[in-house]
Amino acid sequence: MGEYYVNSGGNDVIFIGDCEVYENFSPVTLWQEYGIPSYIRGSAQQMIWQSYYLLEETLQYETPKVVVFNVLSMKYDTPESTGSPTRREAYNRMTLDTMRWSPTKWKAIAASLTEEEREWEGLLTYLFPILRYHERWSQLTAEDFAYWLRRDTVSHNGYLMQTGVKPMTDSYASAPLADYRFGENSWHYLDKMRLLCEEKGVQLVLIKAPTLYPIWWWEWDAQIAQYAEENGLLYLNMIESIEDIGIDWNTDTYDAGLHLNVWGAEKAARWLGEVLREECNLPDRREDAELSATWSKKVALYEQEKQSRGGS
Amino acid sequence: MKKWIFFVLCFSIFLSGCGNSAGKDYVFAYEGTEIPMHAPAEGILTALGEPVNYTETPSCAFEGLDKTYYFGGFYLTTYPGDKGDCVSGLWFADDSVTTPEGIRIGSTQAEVEAAYGTGGFNGTNAYFLTGEGMKLSIILINGTVGSVQYEAVFS
Repeated sequence: MGEYYVNSGGNDVIFIGDCEVYENFSPVTLWQEYGIPSYIRGSAQQMIWQSYYLLEETLQYETPKVVVFNVLSMKYDTPESTGSPTRREAYNRMTLDTMRWSPTKWKAIAASLTEEEREWEGLLTYLFPILRYHERWSQLTAEDFAYWLRRDTVSHNGYLMQTGVKPMTDSYASAPLADYRFGENSWHYLDKMRLLCEEKGVQLVLIKAPTLYPIWWWEWDAQIAQYAEENGLLYLNMIESIEDIGIDWNTDTYDAGLHLNVWGAEKAARWLGEVLREECNLPDRREDAELSATWSKKVALYEQEKQSRGGS
Repeated sequence: MKKWIFFVLCFSIFLSGCGNSAGKDYVFAYEGTEIPMHAPAEGILTALGEPVNYTETPSCAFEGLDKTYYFGGFYLTTYPGDKGDCVSGLWFADDSVTTPEGIRIGSTQAEVEAAYGTGGFNGTNAYFLTGEGMKLSIILINGTVGSVQYEAVFS
């Protein structure tokens, strides 16, 4: 997430959302195939209110032509609805601690706190993380200091490369829900995203990434489709296009179908790039010498990592 | 005797690192094996025997796996605790299993209310009953029970 700040500017497409964006789409493929410069502002279990504030922050750095938002997080209406508060706090910190200080970050923190965190004044610990971790001083290792001083780049314009292969052999089961309606808070933040994009002249595209678990219920799909239609948005449920995309669950996933590996992410980006080019009139920017030079370095690093990790 | 069993269960949960305490309310049992939410999964899984099916899902960022076991009549899910897997949920797959209060898939709304009362009714299609560290959801579809779910609640 924090790597964005040195890569901001000049992106025609910004992805916002949870691990279903940063693990499932390769910006390098979007560039190589269509000349579309893009960046993924994704983080693990990113909540929709965090997505909104990340969007707000991103638009302070640049104005892309298109914002692609993955809608899976609509299922979580409140910080408490995600399960274990310990995990929730850890996920919060993965998103929030990497944001630069700004009023937007402040608002993102305020929206993200669980009731439990509010009780022990968790807001202060996001402002001053040392308050949260001061008891860890005796466990610090040389690795902690090395990480503090220098963090290696781990993503390719926000994409986290995975080169493992673990086929999906079984379908996943989920208990049915008593109520499939998305919550008011989720709709509130989706509306805010839409209105902010409208205000800035950015086309908002809603997607559901082409992975099969967590389950994307058809009742959820219908609500998003209706919302998109009512508001003139493009909504792509990529699950319906898995065959067209060409995803092979024997070779294109590293964790049995929850996320795609690099080969799957390239296929997903190839399919999405075609749609974005056609539907959003995105230009091919490969003729731009400066941009092309920047991206040729990114492509080289990407190919190098892919090869070193067993890809081809 | 029941108090003693409950004390042993709570103590084993404390030792297991499962984090939350498990209540004695609404505990599903299958062929004599009680399955409280947040309980250490290892002993329960041993007692239940070989599952018909098993899937696992890693989290986006944490070590450990969320696991789902299918035992024919029901699914059981676990989450990784500090010292081993803990029970996170259970839901009925068909009408071959019943709650200790006698409710199964296909039971009528009247039977649900006779077993659990009317207090947990949400006014439309479900009963939500809470115990210590858990929630029991009974969902009605077309007037009869369509789903029974036990779920660990984190605090």
